[in-house]
Amino acid sequence: MTSLTASGLPASRRKPAGYAALIAVAVLALAVGAALPWLVPTKIAMSLLAQAMFDALLATSVGFLILQNGRTSFGQAAFFGLGGYAMGVLIARQWVAPEAAVLIALILPTAVAFLLGLVISRITGVAHAMLTLAVGQAFYEVVFRWRELAKGDDGMSFDLPAQMFGFSARKLQDPAVMLVLAWTVLVLVLLGLALFARSRIGQVAAAIRDNEERARFLGYSTVMPRALVYAIAAFIAAIAGILQASYNGYIAPQMFHWSTSGFALIMAIIGGAKFIIGPAIGAVVLFYIKDYAGQFAEYWPAIVGVILVIVTLTMPRGVVGLALMLWRRGTRR
Amino acid sequence: MLIQILNGIVYGGLLYLLAVGLVLIFGLREVVNFAHGALFMVGAYLGFSIAAMGYWWGGLLVSVVAMAIVGCLLDAMVFSTLRKQDHIVTVLVTFGILLILETVVTKVWGKAYLTYPVPPLLAGTINIGGSPFPVYRLFVIAVSVAVAVSLSVWLRYTRTGLYIRAASTDARVTSMQGINVDRLSLIVVGLGTALAGLSGVVAGPLLSLSPTMGNYILIDSFIVVVIGGLGSFAGAFVAALLIGQIHNFGAVYLPWAATVLPFMLMVGILIWRPTGFAGSRT
Amino acid sequence: MTDNVIEGIKLSRRYGGFAALDNVDIAVKQGEIRGLIGPNGAGKSTLIDVLSGRAVTRGGKVLLKGDDISALTPQERRRRGMARSFQRTNIFPDLTVEQQLRVASWAVPGADIAEVMDELRLTEMADVPAAEISYGDQRRLDLALALVGRPTVLLLDEPAAGLTMEESLALARILRDLANRWKVTVLLVEHDMQVVFSICDRITVLHLGRTLSEGTCAEIRVDPTVIAAYLGTEA
Repeated sequence: MTSLTASGLPASRRKPAGYAALIAVAVLALAVGAALPWLVPTKIAMSLLAQAMFDALLATSVGFLILQNGRTSFGQAAFFGLGGYAMGVLIARQWVAPEAAVLIALILPTAVAFLLGLVISRITGVAHAMLTLAVGQAFYEVVFRWRELAKGDDGMSFDLPAQMFGFSARKLQDPAVMLVLAWTVLVLVLLGLALFARSRIGQVAAAIRDNEERARFLGYSTVMPRALVYAIAAFIAAIAGILQASYNGYIAPQMFHWSTSGFALIMAIIGGAKFIIGPAIGAVVLFYIKDYAGQFAEYWPAIVGVILVIVTLTMPRGVVGLALMLWRRGTRR
Repeated sequence: MLIQILNGIVYGGLLYLLAVGLVLIFGLREVVNFAHGALFMVGAYLGFSIAAMGYWWGGLLVSVVAMAIVGCLLDAMVFSTLRKQDHIVTVLVTFGILLILETVVTKVWGKAYLTYPVPPLLAGTINIGGSPFPVYRLFVIAVSVAVAVSLSVWLRYTRTGLYIRAASTDARVTSMQGINVDRLSLIVVGLGTALAGLSGVVAGPLLSLSPTMGNYILIDSFIVVVIGGLGSFAGAFVAALLIGQIHNFGAVYLPWAATVLPFMLMVGILIWRPTGFAGSRT
Repeated sequence: MTDNVIEGIKLSRRYGGFAALDNVDIAVKQGEIRGLIGPNGAGKSTLIDVLSGRAVTRGGKVLLKGDDISALTPQERRRRGMARSFQRTNIFPDLTVEQQLRVASWAVPGADIAEVMDELRLTEMADVPAAEISYGDQRRLDLALALVGRPTVLLLDEPAAGLTMEESLALARILRDLANRWKVTVLLVEHDMQVVFSICDRITVLHLGRTLSEGTCAEIRVDPTVIAAYLGTEA
């Protein structure tokens, strides 16, 4: 059985872009990010784009799991929600300093994912999809019923502290500030993942994804690298959750819901999970389609369903794969 | 106590009706139908509309037949077309179908909870061990048992059943031996979704109707299928009864943990045996 | 102390009611190329699996340079110098040839992938994903993955399966040559008798999970029990 990352199209024979090129692109992207408040016309547009960045981070998390582990998760929202809830609950209760709350909100989901990864990574394919869906939903059920934690299904508002890491934390709820921050984080995450893919452990993880048995017989323990990939993916999802919770000043069980996981997965597939940047592109594309289709908002899930069916059937490598193919076709002539 | 056990069997029976459909489809196509819960929901709404006109049993019949047809279409248009692709692609497509169905139902019937009537024939309660017990719940148990029995007889003693069991063991070998897996799959998927329609109608009077009613029970039946061992009929039966009991006893004695118990059981069993207790296939 | 590099003592393995391997002893000396032959179902692949840690022996033990490695995982055995290939091509389809050899080399301190790519004529396709190279190239890549870092013991399960006669013999020559120069001890399962007789020092014949005979090529060629059980029907 081939993984989603395998494809009918011949893969690139070129060596991957060098480190210098990678860093250059990242720096350029960061510069664009810094200029965004002047490029995006209105506060509303900035707010929408900032939220698209949260989606992009979550989709990147799901896509990374497919790209590096060959595992399709229907439950990545669990770590998104854990990050958001850890942040929201700790700050609302003021149990720890705000900085510590952020750290805990990053570490807790990562650690949980690592432990779960040790078990779940042994399950493959369709069973993995069912299992992650069920695990994700278990978290949803807990926060939904546990009213004392964060008001159950009503969700809970909380106020950001005045200061965090020496900055005025309330600024996080300014669309322009959040947009620049989320964009910067996304660029750094994508850069980090690209560097990971080129690193030793990244290539070993790719080998394990490709052929776990042979990797074992080449001398590698396969459980740890897989669990590490789960942990990194969860870390990214947690960042998305923390940013979203901070921006909205609100957490709700929907953050954990399987539809959140499912939509993130759909974004990753639409963008192209074969590419590190694919899921993020998919998230932005879908976000703008949603914005454009505003008047049909009540049909939105069906529209996404139709787009998903069309994309999976006609462009298995997603929007980025399609763009790359068209570009190559264009340059060949 | 007895009543609690019976209630657990009622829920377990419903889970079995759904899970066995998933198992049937998985056996032949090696895919999990994420739209299964949505078909359960659509079946319930169809039955509801006809029952509202005064034909409860007509609603049951129409719903089962309609879902069987939908299943055949699903097999011919999706599962058969995508059989050479990664199975995850098919799963994604069924997920897309789930989104579409939920939206359509919301549009047609609205988001509000609807109450499905109990047929007059099965209204009322009887006395079991000193406590009243709704006759309708006994009917649900009877339906699940009838399906379980006839399904196992069919699989064991008929030629088609033999083929299905063979194909579930190894679809490639079976197709090499001249059995038409595509035709077999049409029957199996149609039957699986018909059972989803049946359980939707049967569950209707027990649960409230809403466009998302299929999601919760779908996840419980996923747990059943995973615990039972993917592709195992007997495993699904045992696991459904087990989860039914846990669900019910949990709700009564450990309400704070009730919804999480099945998940914990699943993770525990997977640590112990990664393929579930009756399975070897993934 | 023994000069056997790899040794299996009383190895047994059952699958259901079927004894795939029944009390088999095998010992291969340093530098030797040992052929492992026998009809289908004789237990050849099972023996390789048990030695390499893919399957567990019921009773008995596996010794590598005199150390009992029966309880070690495949990855630990590889790190102690045991490598293997598989009957069905078992490579990393999405990784390039060089990428996967490099991954293989990281597990072995001081391993050099240039020499392996060179010896197995993979250099020119270094940057091509393995899924896209020809079947013959894939088989050489499969062997190359096992040869990275010059293992002490190489267990090969039909490395020439599916190759043409010329390709098989060419592969056999490379193998003989590398085994001599790199001092690799080889246990080779192979159906092609020409390959076996051309490169093996000694041959073990398995039949129905038991050792039927063992000896030099010349001895095996004329062994009446072997001819009756096996060679007579095919060669």
